Amino acid sequence: MVPKALLNLPARPRLALSSRSMVTLAAHALFIVAFISMWEFAAQRGILDPTFFGRPSGIWNYLWTGFVTGKKLWLELGYTVTGALISFAAGSVTAIAFGLLFTTYPPLHRAAEPYLTLLNAMPRIALAPLFLLWFGLGIGSKIAVGVSLTFFIVLSATVAGIRGVASDHLILSKALGATPHQVFFKVTLPSAVPVIFSGLRLGLIFALLGVVGAELIAAEHGLGQTLAYLQSTFSMDGVMALLFLLALLGLGVTAIMNRMERALLSWQ
Amino acid sequence: MKDAASAREMATGRSTPLPAASGGPAILVRDLTVRFGGGAAPPVLAVDRVSLSLKSGEFVSLVGPSGCGKTTILNLLTGLLPVAMEGKVTILGKPPRPGNPDIAYMLARDSLLPWRTALGNAAYGLEIRNVPVQQREAQARELLARVGLADFCNAYPKALSHGMRQRCALARTFCLGSPVFLMDEPFGALDAQTKLQLEDVLMDLWSAAQRTVLFVTHDLAEAVALSDRVIVMSARPGRIIADVPITLPRPRSVRALQKDEEFHKLYARLWGLLEQGSGSNGS
Ligand SMILES: Nc1ncnc2c1ncn2[C@@H]1O[C@H](COP(=O)(O)OP(=O)(O)OP(=O)(O)O)[C@@H](O)[C@H]1O
Ligand SMILES: [Mg+2]
Repeated sequence: MVPKALLNLPARPRLALSSRSMVTLAAHALFIVAFISMWEFAAQRGILDPTFFGRPSGIWNYLWTGFVTGKKLWLELGYTVTGALISFAAGSVTAIAFGLLFTTYPPLHRAAEPYLTLLNAMPRIALAPLFLLWFGLGIGSKIAVGVSLTFFIVLSATVAGIRGVASDHLILSKALGATPHQVFFKVTLPSAVPVIFSGLRLGLIFALLGVVGAELIAAEHGLGQTLAYLQSTFSMDGVMALLFLLALLGLGVTAIMNRMERALLSWQ
Repeated sequence: MKDAASAREMATGRSTPLPAASGGPAILVRDLTVRFGGGAAPPVLAVDRVSLSLKSGEFVSLVGPSGCGKTTILNLLTGLLPVAMEGKVTILGKPPRPGNPDIAYMLARDSLLPWRTALGNAAYGLEIRNVPVQQREAQARELLARVGLADFCNAYPKALSHGMRQRCALARTFCLGSPVFLMDEPFGALDAQTKLQLEDVLMDLWSAAQRTVLFVTHDLAEAVALSDRVIVMSARPGRIIADVPITLPRPRSVRALQKDEEFHKLYARLWGLLEQGSGSNGS
């Protein structure tokens, strides 16, 4: 089941540049500048050991050479994003299809449920070694891990969404003489969309998690692989840069999903 | 499709004569007995030998204590209740079946679809009945205007108040233009003010295009003010204990009636009957 809290995510306020939010923005900028300067200063004075914590100028240099003078980070980013997107697409499409199948034939769902629960209980990242063996060091094994995470999340959201349709709406539609086809497309599906969508949002984040996790274990490319390599060579500036990059990537993913949700579900 | 066409014509508000149901009653229930359960649980006798008959164009209220089988009777008329029954039930001479276009059913809760605007909701019934989009939207707009929601066509239900949502449901029901209306406590959860207002709207809509209405309510004042007849049922198992003709002249204004003496006499009489019916079979 999708946790209830997921369904009640507060709608994000629109970014209106009122004078109040300008002040907040300025305060944030000030805080960040102060934080970075302190860090740089502490690293210079040896208060914070750059071997363990990196230093802002080093992190900046790493990002600059990776993205601007060289193109290496673009390539790694491309691998990770491609892997995550393919995992997400494949995982969620099959999950929605299975969700529809299971809600149309509930006995099938009852039969499959114990096995699905068992699979879902398994820490998926532990499957990575197996997938590496089956699908090789390349992007295939990363997609397999991503799909294995996305699938279950979107599946349970789809089933919960379709089951959650209000019985009043069904009674009304049947009294009006709606065909099963009409009931599905005019009532069941639209009422399930918000729940499915929160499943998709989570599914995309987990696809990214799965791919990066698998890359960390063994890979030829990708941000996870780069991170593991930098860590093994004690290049802390690079590690910090990649963590920052991964956080940004997650943030971007969430922002895109939020935007889509707002456009799609304006009635909520 | 011929029926739908005449029904649409009626929804435009002119008092078109009803598709004469071959002269017979619009709703006929004879010796209806309904039992729920069986199997493991002991069967519950919900409705016991109930007979009623509504003439075409008649407005009849059904009152009775909670659990006496009023909703059950309406559900049976819509053909939505897969339950063992004895007796005979017909609507315009035909046995009940789900999706009967002759029936418009209004549930107690507004049951608006939250992802549709007021307009989309008001037009929903016609959409299910495959009326072309322009026609159904024009009709829905007109009905929304009649219930005072002209400015809220594009509002989603979340932006409507409780009374406004109920009005939207009323518009959806009247949009259907079905000759027979079944209404299950449609104004049950409203404040007194909004209720009076919607009752007047209902009276207007009903007298503009005479439909047969079977109206379930717990509010005796509402029953007296709206109906041609009030049928009183006893506590479970539901039996009919009285059938009271309401002789107040029409057209009526529900508001004005609050000061009418005859109205209060009828109200008191029904109240007595209802008390008697609830007491006689309490368990
Ligand atoms: N699906 C069902 N299964 C079993 N018993 C039922 C079912 N529906 C109704 N009943 C029983 O039938 C009786 C009549 O129910 P019904 O809903 O018709 O009452 P009602 O007159 O509409 O009551 P209220 O005024 O409270 O809405 C009740 O006593 C209830 O216990
Ligand atoms: Mg009821």
